[in-house]
Amino acid sequence: MPIHDLGYRSWQGKRTLRLLRPLFVARSGITLIWRRPLIKLMLMVAWLPIIVPAGGIFAFEYSTTDPDLRRFVIQILSGPMQRPDLGIQVVTDPTAARHDVWSTLILGFFRVPQLFAMVLLIGLIAPLLISYDLRSKAYLQYFSRPLSPGEYIVGKSAVIWFFLTMIATVPALTLYLLGVLLSPELSVVSTTWDIPLRILAASFVLIVPTTTLAIGYSSCTSENRYASFAWFATWVMGSVAYQILTNIPRMGRRDTVPIDPDRWRLLSPYHTLGKVESWVFGLDTSDGAVWPAMLVLLAITVIGTIFVHRRLIARLSV
Amino acid sequence: MPFFQRIVAVTYTFSRRKALSPIIQLSGVTKQYGGFRALDDAAVRVEPGITGLLGPNGSGKSTLIKAILGLVRSQQGSGTVLGLPWPEQVREIRDLVGYLPEDDCYIAGLTGIEAVAFMANLSGLPRVEGLRRAHEITDFCDIGEEKYRPVESYSTGMRQKLKFAQALVHDPPFLILDEPTTGLDPDQREAMLRRIRTLANHHGKSILLSTHILPDVKAVCDQVIILARGQVRVIDSLHNLSKPTEPTLNVLVHGESGAFLSGLSEAGHEVVSHADGTLKIAVFGTDQVSTIWDLAATTGTSIRRLVPAQNSLEEIFFQAVSTAEAN
Repeated sequence: MPIHDLGYRSWQGKRTLRLLRPLFVARSGITLIWRRPLIKLMLMVAWLPIIVPAGGIFAFEYSTTDPDLRRFVIQILSGPMQRPDLGIQVVTDPTAARHDVWSTLILGFFRVPQLFAMVLLIGLIAPLLISYDLRSKAYLQYFSRPLSPGEYIVGKSAVIWFFLTMIATVPALTLYLLGVLLSPELSVVSTTWDIPLRILAASFVLIVPTTTLAIGYSSCTSENRYASFAWFATWVMGSVAYQILTNIPRMGRRDTVPIDPDRWRLLSPYHTLGKVESWVFGLDTSDGAVWPAMLVLLAITVIGTIFVHRRLIARLSV
Repeated sequence: MPFFQRIVAVTYTFSRRKALSPIIQLSGVTKQYGGFRALDDAAVRVEPGITGLLGPNGSGKSTLIKAILGLVRSQQGSGTVLGLPWPEQVREIRDLVGYLPEDDCYIAGLTGIEAVAFMANLSGLPRVEGLRRAHEITDFCDIGEEKYRPVESYSTGMRQKLKFAQALVHDPPFLILDEPTTGLDPDQREAMLRRIRTLANHHGKSILLSTHILPDVKAVCDQVIILARGQVRVIDSLHNLSKPTEPTLNVLVHGESGAFLSGLSEAGHEVVSHADGTLKIAVFGTDQVSTIWDLAATTGTSIRRLVPAQNSLEEIFFQAVSTAEAN
């Protein structure tokens, strides 16, 4: 028996607002995930790629005075970034090119390292959220409190939102800040002030549908490995299918056949997200309209949320 | 607790119960799962105090509890729970109810104390207050130092105590305990029943105790509800249910009882002899007890025990269930 056993005592105090209670679900989930050393390591590693675009912005800002840096920037824009037109503009009118150069580098950061980090991170943490609760029947404990299935979904989703913000939004905003600090003068803010807003919008596009998809998989099964498999399979199979179908017309032909990147885009979540993110940054160069991709992401979000809600209600009825 | 204080506490508890009555009053509750009717026009009235909810497997006990909490949506039914309209305000009701589920459920990864504090937070206790309260309640539930261990490593009995602590942490006026003594060893079971009694008698809690263990009901409950085939078959106080429909006495005699039995028959009493030697004597009124004593004195029979007969809970339960099945 404890030394200071007080027996049972009544409690009378002010309760927190009911609207804030999903925050407790989120905080508990974040605390549990944060205990995993692998996640901490991943978060640190996910920040490393920031060096590359930061170096690019630095090189661009000093390219007017240093011909070597100018050549370097033109090579990057014409090569990996596939924007030779922007390379030419850097030479002819560097001030006008600034906004697009910064946006291109930040979009590149979003599209490649952060998207891969996102897929990996969600694949590791999302199945632990609802699958575990289904296996251990923890949902009975959540819903014995004044918590609706919608609030539960928001609380669980907020765990993923937090980690994705930590690996995508915060590094991108930091990258922008670094760009400003590495520039020769602070007046660059006047031409790039909208980029942080675009970063927030792109983060929203990245985070919301992917989280819903992951939570949807997580609610399908009490075996988290199956949910992980389905998550990774969606990204890998989608990308592979897109690459194959897009490149089929080129196979076995010597002459150059133009690629239509929009035809099979909706098969691949990676390319669908890329289309909308490019549009958000004002850098969408492909011919196809952006709305089919936006509709797909919206459909994933809405259908996924309804699906998870119905799964939880069905579980409670057993 | 000193005797005088205890008297005051019990008097206060009963006066508070009277003011709160009834805790639950529902009528016409119907829940259908496909073609199976789990609750069929059930009418439930739970008075303050401890109420036992009995019924065979599949009788609708868990569905009724889930319906009260709004975890399943019933097709029909209305009423009040703790004075709040049901089913319109089920979330407000959940704020005032502590629920111990029958299922083995836990939030993986948390330690015992974190799990209790988390439930406190979900019920609206601020963070620090929730933790303080969690420590207090885990001590009350005798979880001890095991509260610092992850819940996955708990035994069934420990998980049961943890669920009890979680149900209690926000100090609800009404507790719904679904099989609270399952998986507990005899000592722990007795301790759990003692806690339930303490909460009801000294802290004014009303408790709905769903269980298959009839001795638990007899030990702690004031009122009994028996469900069978989705309908409430019996709902009354244990005291009333225990009374036989006709006045009957259980008499245990020492030695030869032939003359005594003959005398009883001549006096018009119906007598049934039980295997343990007890005589069950139907009487016409309590004033006839003196007649029995006189007859014993006349026939030289030694009476070792004479008590009013009571219906056993087992009899009441089986009768209610068999009537439901016959219908």
